[in-house]
Amino acid sequence: MIEVKNVSVKYKNIYGIKNASFKAQDGEIVGLIGADGAGKSSLLHAISGVISFEGEILYNNEPYHSPKEAEKFKKYIGLMPQGLGLVLYDFMSIKEHFDFFRDIRGIKKDIEYENRLLNMAGLEKFQNRLAGNLSGGMRQKLSLILTLLHRPKLLILDEPTTGVDPVSRLELWDIVNEMREQDNITALISTAYMQEAEKMDRVMLFDEGEIIASGKADELIKTAEPYTYSGELKYENCVSFNKRTYSLNKLDLPKAKPDLESLFFVNALQKKKELINIELKKEKENSSNEVVMKAEKLTKVFGNFVADDKIDMELRRGEILGLLGANGAGKTTFIKMLLGLYPIDGGKLTLLDKEIKSYKDRLELKSKIGYVSQRFALYDDMTVRENMNYFASMHKIPLLEANKKIKEYAKLLGFENYMDKFPKELPLGINQRFSIAVAILHDPVVLFLDEPTSGVDTIARSQFWKLVKELKEKMNMAILITTHYMSEAEYCDRVVLLKAGKKISDNTVENLHKKFPDAKNFEEIFIRLIK
Amino acid sequence: MRINVIKAYIKKEFLDLFRSKMLVMVYVMPLMIVFLFGYGIKMEVTHSRTIVLDNDNSKTSLEIINAFEHSKYYDTKVLNITDNQALKMMKQNKTDIIIDIPAGFEKRLFKNQKPEIGVFIDGAFPIRATTMQGYVINTLINKASVNIPITKNMIKINQRTLFNQSMKDTWAIVPGIIGLALLIAPAILAALLIVKEKEIGTIFNFYSSPITKTEFLIAKLTPPFLLHSLNVFILLLLALYIFGLPFRGSFWLYFLATEIYIIVSLGIGLLVSVMTSSQVTALVVTILITIIPGFLYSGILMPISSMDKESYIEAHLLPVMYYNHIIYDTFLIGSGFSSSINLLYLGILFIYGIALILLGSLFLKKRLK
Repeated sequence: MIEVKNVSVKYKNIYGIKNASFKAQDGEIVGLIGADGAGKSSLLHAISGVISFEGEILYNNEPYHSPKEAEKFKKYIGLMPQGLGLVLYDFMSIKEHFDFFRDIRGIKKDIEYENRLLNMAGLEKFQNRLAGNLSGGMRQKLSLILTLLHRPKLLILDEPTTGVDPVSRLELWDIVNEMREQDNITALISTAYMQEAEKMDRVMLFDEGEIIASGKADELIKTAEPYTYSGELKYENCVSFNKRTYSLNKLDLPKAKPDLESLFFVNALQKKKELINIELKKEKENSSNEVVMKAEKLTKVFGNFVADDKIDMELRRGEILGLLGANGAGKTTFIKMLLGLYPIDGGKLTLLDKEIKSYKDRLELKSKIGYVSQRFALYDDMTVRENMNYFASMHKIPLLEANKKIKEYAKLLGFENYMDKFPKELPLGINQRFSIAVAILHDPVVLFLDEPTSGVDTIARSQFWKLVKELKEKMNMAILITTHYMSEAEYCDRVVLLKAGKKISDNTVENLHKKFPDAKNFEEIFIRLIK
Repeated sequence: MRINVIKAYIKKEFLDLFRSKMLVMVYVMPLMIVFLFGYGIKMEVTHSRTIVLDNDNSKTSLEIINAFEHSKYYDTKVLNITDNQALKMMKQNKTDIIIDIPAGFEKRLFKNQKPEIGVFIDGAFPIRATTMQGYVINTLINKASVNIPITKNMIKINQRTLFNQSMKDTWAIVPGIIGLALLIAPAILAALLIVKEKEIGTIFNFYSSPITKTEFLIAKLTPPFLLHSLNVFILLLLALYIFGLPFRGSFWLYFLATEIYIIVSLGIGLLVSVMTSSQVTALVVTILITIIPGFLYSGILMPISSMDKESYIEAHLLPVMYYNHIIYDTFLIGSGFSSSINLLYLGILFIYGIALILLGSLFLKKRLK
């Protein structure tokens, strides 16, 4: 049993987690849910005894207050830190990893148990393969069974499923469940995926370094019921997202069933957080849905590895196209070809009926595309304003016009108060909006967004999707978006699914739901399509 | 302390070093340093273009010419031209040295009248000029006077005496470069082995398991120590057979001092690894803090005894000087264990190494920052 009492972790003057308290019983799976920087990792590190903390932690009623005091409990704790196969050595085989982890833990070889672990992870056939040559999902499964090798009583998994393909994700959960049933271990598992809450006995919701709610997921969801209404409407002191509207005041609207995400919205309302309403001006009356970009049998080969194999795709005005696929499925390579960053090894790429062939064509291509990369290509030592001016001049937008536009976007996208701040000082969500503003300064016809929502908190994510929708509706832009949150596929008009460099599905979200009427959510559809 | 834990870690380090080919660096880097510096810093000047103006035409002057002609340091030409013509040639960069033997040199020499020999040296590169000047004085006094009763007093050369450049330059430089190489390379390897785990994230295996700090340190420092112990021999063979150095002292002193010196270097690497968290920073920091003292305060470029007060103190605060003293002794002098300075310096190095490792392990924390 583990008990955490008023634990805080401080980085210089900022709290990673503040005054966290909770209990976990033997055989219980407790989930830590929240965005990047919400404090999940800090708390897990404190419990694992790998970071200094304030407060007290009790392991089976024995207290520890520092990493040093935690030392004697480390043989009962198994920590798997965040990152795909972070604890693996690329130049060592699976077998050698087993030898190493067994020896550093000072335990005897238990062939039966080790084989069981390997079987659970489906890795028994690959024992001589170097860790560096394993796929992301396999690496993560290997890390997990290595963490289990010394039979920990307390299993601490920091975002084990982030960046892992949905199939491997299910397998990881199977391993955890089996260990819980057979060995009665306690597991603390953090995740950024709300849907995984249903696999946990209890969840704690994290926001900005605090636990905002904890308990059984369905009970927690019930607490949001009084504030959740159906439909998306604009009212004072309300926030609406994904066919629901949240308000602390009574509204004259039909009630809706909340979900875990609802809790974050309710919390934001209760804390009177500033929520901006994004609304763009309708530019010109333009509702054509012509095809702006067309890829035919686009192929990219690295050595003898085919990253993208004859992929067809059409992108239309006023359409949000989701490009889905696990890590290594060829999403990023595909986008880079569309962007003109990679030469095309086969196939044809057409933008506005003009085939892209030469270097000059590619330059032309770039001037019509807006691109927001995963890590936002902003300059940290320039303020928001300077960044925007820089990008404007890069696109040769006349100064006066640029200034006018920057002002307008800053107001519309709600970052005018931050114009003279540095990107590093701003929350992820604001950086994201201002990156989009940068990307649309030159009026592109196509906007590419590469994993724009990874790590962003629920509210910022909802605002992001509203913005994307506005861009589509008001500016009639063609938008291509990649994401590994399957739930976000629901907000797209159409999805293209890649698997190992091949397109396995290209359909509207509506049609897919019709095709699999019994699927609970898009994640299930995705898994079925992949299989 | 559990031997099996340490063994497992060391085995992993070796696997990683072999398979990531970092091992190449362990042996190539010191060799590169020794070759580049050993050949690169040449203070020795050979084949200086020399013109002798023999206005005496005596037996003595022929002896002198002979001495110049039979030395690899000069390409000697005897010309029948005037002083001014010769100086003009120097201005045109056609000669480096002019030796002017005046008429009646021999006569006056035997009459004990202190005859003068005029020596002109091209001073375009001051260090080179001083070196050449040293050679000329040496040649005149030592070589030319074998058969002729010339002493230093009897010849008055119009020059100031300058510091006496060693006639064999590589001898003076190579031992110092070994000291430099073995200061840089083990430090880099030790720093990288720890920082690499921090950068990749595998350091969590140490943080989150019951491995103690001592076990971790032994496991991390043993591989670089063992691997670089081989360099002790490789560099010795290189010095003896490629650079042709003599080995006059005690092998065991050389061995012991070098192994201790490697520990000092590992200590520096450990300290760097505590302070940095990326491999690139660790590499740059290690190179900066080892190469500068390893070079400037080692006595390679300037003897410690002729340093200014500040640099004299600085040199004594750094480990390089002590090692270099011992290693010069083993190669060139040979007083070995009987010299009390050698023993004192060996002791200082030992304490230095232990202190650095203790300091490093004190700062090494088994947790995230």
